[in-house]
Amino acid sequence: MNRGPVIFLGTLLAFALSFFAFVLFPQVQVGRQPLAAVLGAPDGTTYPAELPGQARQGAMIYQANGCAACHSQQVRQTGVNFKVMLAEAGTNTAAVLTAVMDANPKLDEAAARALLQNTPATVLPGLSDKKVADAAQKALKNAGAKAEIKVEPTGPDIARAWGARRTVAADYLFDSPVQLGAQRVGPDLANVGLRYPDANWQLVHLYNPQIYAAKSPMPPYKFLFHLHKVEAGAQPSPDALTLPAEFAPPAGYEVIPTDDARALVAYLLSRKAVAPVFDAPLSVAQAATPATNAVAGGTNAASATNAVAP
Amino acid sequence: MNSDTKQPVNSPSATTPIWLVMVFAVLFYGGLVYLDHHSGGFEPQVYAPYHSLAELEAAQPVSGAPNPFLIGQAVYNKPTCVSCHQATGAGTPGQFPPLAGSEWIAEPQPGRVIRIVLNGLQGPIEVKGQNFNNVMVPWKDVLSDEEIAAVLTYVRQNKEWGNTAPAVTPEQVKAVREKIKGRSQPFTPAELKTISPAD
Repeated sequence: MNRGPVIFLGTLLAFALSFFAFVLFPQVQVGRQPLAAVLGAPDGTTYPAELPGQARQGAMIYQANGCAACHSQQVRQTGVNFKVMLAEAGTNTAAVLTAVMDANPKLDEAAARALLQNTPATVLPGLSDKKVADAAQKALKNAGAKAEIKVEPTGPDIARAWGARRTVAADYLFDSPVQLGAQRVGPDLANVGLRYPDANWQLVHLYNPQIYAAKSPMPPYKFLFHLHKVEAGAQPSPDALTLPAEFAPPAGYEVIPTDDARALVAYLLSRKAVAPVFDAPLSVAQAATPATNAVAGGTNAASATNAVAP
Repeated sequence: MNSDTKQPVNSPSATTPIWLVMVFAVLFYGGLVYLDHHSGGFEPQVYAPYHSLAELEAAQPVSGAPNPFLIGQAVYNKPTCVSCHQATGAGTPGQFPPLAGSEWIAEPQPGRVIRIVLNGLQGPIEVKGQNFNNVMVPWKDVLSDEEIAAVLTYVRQNKEWGNTAPAVTPEQVKAVREKIKGRSQPFTPAELKTISPAD
């Protein structure tokens, strides 16, 4: 070993280079991001919102129990689709009809007519090239119709309904440490607050995941709950979990979530990486068509909160 | 003999084979092409599946009219409604009724909810089988027609809350505001029941 200084300098250079390229440069670029602006929202609406205090405690419970060992918090996106929608057909039916059929040659005249009657309707689905969509939109606009382009992220995680778009650096601005996770023994949790918005569902699921999915490999986190004896003649606590008979505690006892369980659930419910931002654009579902939404009566509430599949 | 073995062995300087140089050149070139294709121009905002800032900018949804749902969300959290009805729309048990899944919200015609937001509400009301008796303040001097329409749209179309009622337009709010112009006291639930939601 007669070239010590050269080897030393070479090694130093290699490590310095990787430090600059993989640590310092990314830190300068994304480490000091300002809050992201939300697309389509009034000016000054920023994303993300700071976590409530209880959710911040919950992040520590999440960390302490190693949830990130089995759950990731990153949604992957492999592509993006552009969809041309006809919002309003306008008055010049003949011109719009021609424009629709020019834009999508697969439509014959009868199909195009039907489409004009049922606005908003999709003229061109699943385009990968925005320019084609832009041209179609322009042609429809020139014909006097109202057309818009929907931006729809695609990918395996989005197909699993784990998120509407990919996660970007802005989603983690208030996470410290960022608990991205590397393995998916369980499902991704980047949007779990949207998928299971019911705090009681979350609590029962933490108490024993097998209540909802018999084959779930997730261990029960019963130590986040305590068994409480109901004194004779006393009212049961309003905080007690409602459990199915086979999982219920012995008679005279009730299961009460601890502060840790509540904090963890608050953290889980705060996981919503869904706001449309510049880095990951998507079209937010606009006010949907009145035709499908004019539900008479108000019976949709109970089903919406309970109909979440495990 | 011994002195010979202690000498450093100077191997004859062999030239690097030319094929090896070629292989490394091709690998290096391939690496650069990959980097060029996947680095997104080293822009921090460019993620897969986009390749450049220009491509990302082209993919942005055309900013037409702002989304009433998002405007409504901003109004709701101003804070106006959120102080009592909570960010989850669940209200406060025993004090403030829930908006999530409320049968008052789910009415297809928004006449009654617009009146509640404009002039406030007072008196006993039953929501989702629970009884409440509290006071809701009027918002007609605080929020514009557009803001009331947006916040009602946010509440009525909030699928997270299980609400799927139709949107409310500023014109509808304006029409109701005209009808109840002279009125200053809040509505009572019993009185609202006598008003048609379509009115």
